[in-house]
Amino acid sequence: MKDILRLLLPLLAWLASFSAIYGLHGIGCGLCWPEISYQDVSLVRFALLSAWFAAIFMQVALLFALHMDRFKAVSVFMQWTSIATGWVGLVAVFWTLYPVAVIAACGTYG
Amino acid sequence: MTALRRHRKLTAIWASEPGWKGWTSSVNHSDLGRMFLVTAFFFFLVGGILAMLIRAQLATPHSAFVDAGAFAQFFTMHGTIMMFLFAIPTFEGLAIYLLPKMLGTRDLAFPRLTAYGYWCYAFGGSMLLIALVLGIAPDGGWFMYPPLTGPLHSPGINTDFWLIGITFVEISAICAAVELTVSILKYRAPGMSLDKMPIFAWYALVTALMILTGFPPLILGSVLLEVERAFGWPFFQADLGGDSLLWQHLFWLFGHPEVYIIFLPAAGVISTIIPVMARTTLLGYGWIVASAVALAFLSFGLWVHHMFTTGIPLMGLAFFSAASTLVAVPTGVQVFAWIGTLWKGRPELHLPMLHILGFFFTFVIGGLTGVMVAVVPFDWQAHDTAFITAHLHYVLFGGFVFPILAGIYYWLPLFTGRKRFFRLGEMAFGLIFVGFHGTFLAMHWVGLMGQRRRIETHDAETGWGVINLISSISSFVMAIGLAMVLVDVLIHAFVAVPGGRNPWKAGTLEWASMSPPPAYNFASLPHVVSRDPFHADPGLPNRLAKGEGYLGDPKASRRETLTVDIATGRPDFMVIYPGNTRLPIVMAAVTGLFFVSILLKLFWLTPLALAGVAALALVWVWRLGAQVDAGPQDAGRGANLPLAGETTKSPGWWGSIFLLAANGTFFGSLLFGYAFLWTVAPGWPPAEWLTPSLAELGIGIAAALSAALAIRFAIRSNCRSARPMTGLVAAFGATVIAILTFAMLLSRVPPPDGHAYAATLCVLCAYALAHALLVSLMLSFAIARILRGYTSAARAAELHIVSLWTDYLAAITILSLLAAHLPGMLA
Repeated sequence: MKDILRLLLPLLAWLASFSAIYGLHGIGCGLCWPEISYQDVSLVRFALLSAWFAAIFMQVALLFALHMDRFKAVSVFMQWTSIATGWVGLVAVFWTLYPVAVIAACGTYG
Repeated sequence: MTALRRHRKLTAIWASEPGWKGWTSSVNHSDLGRMFLVTAFFFFLVGGILAMLIRAQLATPHSAFVDAGAFAQFFTMHGTIMMFLFAIPTFEGLAIYLLPKMLGTRDLAFPRLTAYGYWCYAFGGSMLLIALVLGIAPDGGWFMYPPLTGPLHSPGINTDFWLIGITFVEISAICAAVELTVSILKYRAPGMSLDKMPIFAWYALVTALMILTGFPPLILGSVLLEVERAFGWPFFQADLGGDSLLWQHLFWLFGHPEVYIIFLPAAGVISTIIPVMARTTLLGYGWIVASAVALAFLSFGLWVHHMFTTGIPLMGLAFFSAASTLVAVPTGVQVFAWIGTLWKGRPELHLPMLHILGFFFTFVIGGLTGVMVAVVPFDWQAHDTAFITAHLHYVLFGGFVFPILAGIYYWLPLFTGRKRFFRLGEMAFGLIFVGFHGTFLAMHWVGLMGQRRRIETHDAETGWGVINLISSISSFVMAIGLAMVLVDVLIHAFVAVPGGRNPWKAGTLEWASMSPPPAYNFASLPHVVSRDPFHADPGLPNRLAKGEGYLGDPKASRRETLTVDIATGRPDFMVIYPGNTRLPIVMAAVTGLFFVSILLKLFWLTPLALAGVAALALVWVWRLGAQVDAGPQDAGRGANLPLAGETTKSPGWWGSIFLLAANGTFFGSLLFGYAFLWTVAPGWPPAEWLTPSLAELGIGIAAALSAALAIRFAIRSNCRSARPMTGLVAAFGATVIAILTFAMLLSRVPPPDGHAYAATLCVLCAYALAHALLVSLMLSFAIARILRGYTSAARAAELHIVSLWTDYLAAITILSLLAAHLPGMLA
């Protein structure tokens, strides 16, 4: 079961980041964070960018862990495949969370 | 023992009852897999006839072939049948039939559950067919969007048939997903480590896990909409705090992964067939596994791309558009791996390969139009036009029907033990291919010209007439092709001459059994050392028949098999299966009674049906287990293994883990719905919040945590051969307190028909209350088992299963009580 978890962990982490950052955007807009700003950076943008960087950091840390002797799978196949899903997790965090972190705004397109 | 004597002895142990009686009592995966497949293709036939009726109506402008009401029923039932009663059950049937043979074992993890799942599917599907015959079939489109399908705009019984029938059928999908997951992880031939699993098993594992997490949101949505229709609880009515967009979120949280749930098994078929047809090994096995897993995950991040025109925030558009384009990457990895496999091998153009080529051509076009509609401005233009219908068919027909037809022709010699002698299949392929592209290329075109989907007629002045005529004629050509496949398969099954074993010279284990395979699959179980065991050892079938593998010495009337360690494939336990029984069909019928009681508003019958299901479930589990410790068993080849009931992580424990994963997704979706309405729906906050009660919150949480701790105490006592009764009784008492807490909470919730807040709170409390009742039933069962001597320090498997459910109860109790009390505290 640990091997299956190794395989799924980076993508589970992406799914969690995906939900958390989406939720953070909703909370930020709901609590009027765009109105609080420091040097043209609003609180909602700061929170979203921080969360995005944290998610990227978490994926990088996972990738490192999957390479480390202490955490890597015994089977070469599982080691290789879990590292592959680790890269998918990292790319997915970067690519799918980029829009919310960088261009997200509150309100509808009307 | 001679091979023939072993065969006779094993057949006597494993065979189903002869004749039609066997259909109702069989728990054998081969029988049930065939029954699933035959039923699924029957529904495919019905769905196909409905498609022909739709195309007949649209063939000419101002056609009066059917009226608008009947047309609405036709397109709703066509979509519903093809998605829920054909595609998913076909995967289930194929996997149920093939997987034990491919994995080198004798049956799936839970044979009676296989049968129960089949009967739920058959009864649920029949319910929808009856509605169709009576002219009261669902007519709100297969997405069933409220408010159209709500009580105000669809007051008849039509929508209820969909909501109730589909929920009934979904039970079957959840059953199949649980047992396929456990079977693939645990029920493999010794030595078959994860990297030696047949690629189809990887795809089936990923698909089963997706079903477990993808279907619960739809089940929740169906429950909420049916409750709204039956009792007027306003989850989707904007004027009472609900929001119809909640349905769309729940539906597409299921609906988009559903596309991949349909595609991935088909991709598994392709990955299995291509290397055999190309006389080589699969290129990039690890890449394919990784991309299948990635595809499964990414597909959950795309659901909102079905909702680009609903007025969601710009951020949502960008976010889900990005995710939608990303999903093309793992799909592309697989397509390139298949092309690479063909490139490095020497492909032979047999009939299955023709269908694979049909898949390539069609699916790639479907993928390209998919990327087009993932781009928001284009989606706004093409949304709800025939272009989208055409794209959907390119993806699903290309990505499922062509591969499944390839699979049918590939495994037909295994199913029947015969060989084809006609070339009817090749002609059929030509007609299907030409007919399909004629139908749906035209539909892309007419969609771009502005024809909306689901319209029952069109004017001559629109200029769509000729294109629709071409589309309709082509669809009939395709239908003739599909009918020819049916004729070809029937001829093959009943008339063709017997063929030899393994006609394609494949390397996977299913070809190492007889053709057609006997009820027990393998006379003895192989020890696997290669990903293609048959290629590695061509003499394997004879050696297995001689009993040289594991479990080659059949004992009395015991249906035996082995489980293995998940990662390494080392044998760990021996399993003894139950025999033939009608319990599954009876339980499915009583489950059906529960659904019928809601459909016909016979609410006095509902608790009786539920009590019936609970009683049958108790009989079901009571028949398992033993009253004495059996100790390690001789499994052959020097292996001595404990029985599964004498371990802590029995098959039932694994089954509970995955069932709870699906259950947890259902609960998570409910919390999501609550948060969604709270933050997005108009009409919030409600006039009054539930009055918070620290005492209720504290007592409820303390009771649920105490139950979880008490059962741990019981397990520890049992492990030390002390009486576990004290812990179990304490856990039961704590669970009763949790029941009382939720009952009290329910009595304090504001009237649920007044606002979506109260309605959601009631559902949340009812869910937790139902689980508390279930756990109390399980604890009573455990106490009774101890009193009757079914438990010992070794036979502790049941206590560990109950402990899992008690832990789950603790988690949902805490979350439910917090969700109920926090808003009032914060207000």
